[in-house]
Amino acid sequence: MTVRIIAKLDIKPPYVVKPVHFEGLRKMGDPSELAKKYYEQGADEVVYIDIVSSLYQRNIIFDEIERTANELFIPFGVGGAVRSVDDFSKLFHIGADKVVINTYAVQENPDIINNAAKIFGNQAVVVNIEAKKWGDYWECYTDCGRIQSGKNVLEWAKEVEDRGAGEILLQSVDSDGRNRGFDLELCKQVVDLVNIPVVVSSGAGSLEDIKKVIEYAKPSGVAIASLLHYDKNTIKDIKDYLRKNNIEVSK
Amino acid sequence: MSNIIGIVNYGIAGNIHSIKKAIEAAGGKTLIINKPKQFNEVDRLVLPGVGSFIDAMQELENDGFIEPLKNNKKPILGICLGMQILATVGFEYGETKGLGLIKAEIRPMPVSANVPHVGFNTIDVVNDNELLYGLENEEFYFMHSYTVINFHDVSSTTTYHNHQFVSAIKNSNIYGVQFHPEKSRSAGIKLFQNFINLGEA
Repeated sequence: MTVRIIAKLDIKPPYVVKPVHFEGLRKMGDPSELAKKYYEQGADEVVYIDIVSSLYQRNIIFDEIERTANELFIPFGVGGAVRSVDDFSKLFHIGADKVVINTYAVQENPDIINNAAKIFGNQAVVVNIEAKKWGDYWECYTDCGRIQSGKNVLEWAKEVEDRGAGEILLQSVDSDGRNRGFDLELCKQVVDLVNIPVVVSSGAGSLEDIKKVIEYAKPSGVAIASLLHYDKNTIKDIKDYLRKNNIEVSK
Repeated sequence: MSNIIGIVNYGIAGNIHSIKKAIEAAGGKTLIINKPKQFNEVDRLVLPGVGSFIDAMQELENDGFIEPLKNNKKPILGICLGMQILATVGFEYGETKGLGLIKAEIRPMPVSANVPHVGFNTIDVVNDNELLYGLENEEFYFMHSYTVINFHDVSSTTTYHNHQFVSAIKNSNIYGVQFHPEKSRSAGIKLFQNFINLGEA
């Protein structure tokens, strides 16, 4: 089975931005243009996360999402400020294939995972976990690493699987945007714990970092942002490099 | 032939948008079908499906699509769950009767690790199917936890964690694919072109 290489767009509408460990934003470009570029480079999926709307308690901005969806013939995940089954439904109708949820499920009502999975199928429900390390455990954060939840990451990962999530998007508050490598132990523990696909994110600063996390943690996919946005590497560079290192990736 | 492809729209869960867009990229015209009588206005049908077997059958029934689909003689392409409900019976959230257009059962993938099966995977064409022309050994995007158990109408198989399962079927005018052609880059567009061109020299 191939490892999915996923392009991650962090959005502060109407721009793709690059958070530096979840604080301080740099504008990187237009979402639909970047999505198209990564699609053409051979990305296996694109994930679009509006990183400010939940924090500002704004509603989802649908136009930008639809414009981005229109450029893609690969799976498209969308998240940020999702608060209801109705939000899921609207996002699927404008071209999302998966909906990513974090804050509302963690802070307010985890039952939304069960409800959405029953209606839309498990595969369509992705739970984003933002993990911050404290000594020997990780705590779930929300709103882009700003708000603590008191929930233990490993317990929450198991819980979301039991509730019917079809995938976990795992981010690290400590590693995100620092380009110094993944939190390997976090990735491995979550992948080993659950039986649903885990996509790891946060920290890729080099091709070597991506290889390392795949070899060590064996995730189902790796989500990449900075490396691509700064044109340091293309999706094709990443796949060529992994193939050369005997890691199976799609064409 | 005018080649209008009708996309059956039922229930609240729809990836209709993506399918419409991909068929149009393949050069086809589309019509979203909300009522069975619109079957007369199209040349071929696409049956999408997102959600669970039982919900999909319930929604088809609520919208009056079951009998028209059973009696349909036009080429029909079921995608993912849309292929699964072509089967006789499904076992997702209990036992549910399907459309019965293909003699098959829908069972969970007998794989312990990492279900759903998500990602690009290759197809191995084992029997003639016009939709797969030029697509032998191509990669398509899969996203599913259940598979079709069928031994008669298999067009291609795919392997996941050493488990070989049915990835495409064909029985006269009935076609089904477990993967998502609308999410499979140019290979998926090519499959829709093959569907549009069915029966044309």
